[in-house]
Amino acid sequence: MAYKMLNGNTAAAEAMKLAKVQVVSVYPITPQSPMSERLADMVASGEMKAEYIRVESEHSAMSMTMTAQLTGVRAGTATSSNGLALMHEVLSMVSGTRAPVVMPVVNRGVAAPWTLWCEHGDSMAQRDMGWLQFYSENVQEVLDLMLVAYRVAEDERVLTPAMVCLDGFFLSHSMQKVDVPEEELVDDFVGPYIRKNGYLDTKDPMFLCGLCGPEDYTEMRYQQKVGMDNASKVAQEVLEEFEAKFGRKLEIVEGYKTEDADVVLVALGSMCGTAKYVVNKMRAEGKKVGVAKVTMFRPFPVDQLRKVLAGKEVIGVFDRSAGLGGQGGPVWSETCAALKDQSSDIRHYVGGLGGRDVTIDNIEKIFNELLEIKEGRRDKHTQWIDLKDNPMEIRQVIKNV
Amino acid sequence: MIRLKFYGLGGQGVVTAGEIFSGAVSLFEDKYAITIPAYGHERRGAPVNTSIVMDEEPILVNSFVYNPDIVLVMDPTVIDKGVDISEGIHKDSKLVINTADEKVLKRYKEYGFKEMYSVDGTAIALDKIGRGIPNSAMLGALAGTGLLKIDSVEEAIRSFFGEKVGDINAEAAREAYEQIKKI
Repeated sequence: MAYKMLNGNTAAAEAMKLAKVQVVSVYPITPQSPMSERLADMVASGEMKAEYIRVESEHSAMSMTMTAQLTGVRAGTATSSNGLALMHEVLSMVSGTRAPVVMPVVNRGVAAPWTLWCEHGDSMAQRDMGWLQFYSENVQEVLDLMLVAYRVAEDERVLTPAMVCLDGFFLSHSMQKVDVPEEELVDDFVGPYIRKNGYLDTKDPMFLCGLCGPEDYTEMRYQQKVGMDNASKVAQEVLEEFEAKFGRKLEIVEGYKTEDADVVLVALGSMCGTAKYVVNKMRAEGKKVGVAKVTMFRPFPVDQLRKVLAGKEVIGVFDRSAGLGGQGGPVWSETCAALKDQSSDIRHYVGGLGGRDVTIDNIEKIFNELLEIKEGRRDKHTQWIDLKDNPMEIRQVIKNV
Repeated sequence: MIRLKFYGLGGQGVVTAGEIFSGAVSLFEDKYAITIPAYGHERRGAPVNTSIVMDEEPILVNSFVYNPDIVLVMDPTVIDKGVDISEGIHKDSKLVINTADEKVLKRYKEYGFKEMYSVDGTAIALDKIGRGIPNSAMLGALAGTGLLKIDSVEEAIRSFFGEKVGDINAEAAREAYEQIKKI
């Protein structure tokens, strides 16, 4: 193993190289662009033995990747924000044809208002498209989860595509020390791509994905549901094997100092690192707080989360997406459903939108609110935790009103 | 944990300096440093900054630096462009600045940093590299404050820029390391 300085973009590209992806079709979009450039460089120099297909949009990038994968090779693409939104209809095509594509998604808010910066609104909007979703805490996890994702997605019991999500700029552009495993070790773990279902052969053409009437559609969807259900168990096996081979422990849901915690915050992505830092800071002051880090959001880890949150009376959930029109953000809604037979008071927090920093102070404020609720000293909580005092006056329209 | 903030102008290699610094610390000093760059709509010449966190332990926190222990100013004119380089500083914060101009130093003294270090990194860059990009020199200047070893800075610069460009940048770093003065 060798340590390298990588950011989230180069770590994901490195993982695709290590997994010997044979066809790459990527359309650049901020903050993913350096990843697409790095992949192009590696293909051009021969460092990566792959075809690079240039396309005019993310819709085409995803279509190319899917069809390439369906010929029986490991294919790759990557995107972010509006690019992911443009892929929307093809995402369902990929999962429905059971093409186990693995795709890094650099999390960025979806316009309007135009933003270049981090939030989870883009990938959360695709959460029911039949893809597995992993969220990375740091750059090391980007590389590690990519390798894990290939194994889980391609497993015969799963055959479901996977997104490996990394926070725009906070991870995609953060330079960190990463333990990059040897090629042989990765070969041994990920292995060559072996097709496990129907495939396309140019010498013997056939039509794939034909019309499916009501007599079969439900069962086809049910097959996907079974694959999704299996993914949790398969992921557990793969993560154990990963730890034995690479010496790094990753968990579907990581309970960080949750065992004796009075209150727990559920979070995902790069904010988990900051939240762990706050946990240590507050514990030094005698406040027993903990973090439940959701690494795998799809399939939603009901059993693992229930185990970590068992018996907790007051729980906070931090959504880095607005969840407009819902009772709350997607992570909060899922958490509530997972704990529906438990009488926990589950508080919903929204923040870190459009690149707003999830700060030490704001996480500390959440923990203090939760502690006050637990002690019966507080009723209401600050749902939009980092909102300015005058939200309705921001960017007021003054022309043509 | 040591928190750093680098200020400068777009095109001066401020973000690159942060990345090389984190490499110097993480790969050559057996410590850890991560960059949390603040990207905006910047263009060449507009003020930019980058946050860096350094520690003996792996770094958990992934949030911008609000209370820097060390402030590095790559271009003293940033304070005329709406930037308050003293934002969030505390009684022990140190300043490292790219200037040898007494008038400029006088202005910067008013910010009340506990310690101030100065060197003309741009002049050194022009001399050693042939271009006025001060980032490598200013990383050498940081080593001059005792924060990290000059050898680590040189190694990180060489591994970042490659041999030829790396060598002249490393020379600029060494020169600034030797020239830096505590004010």
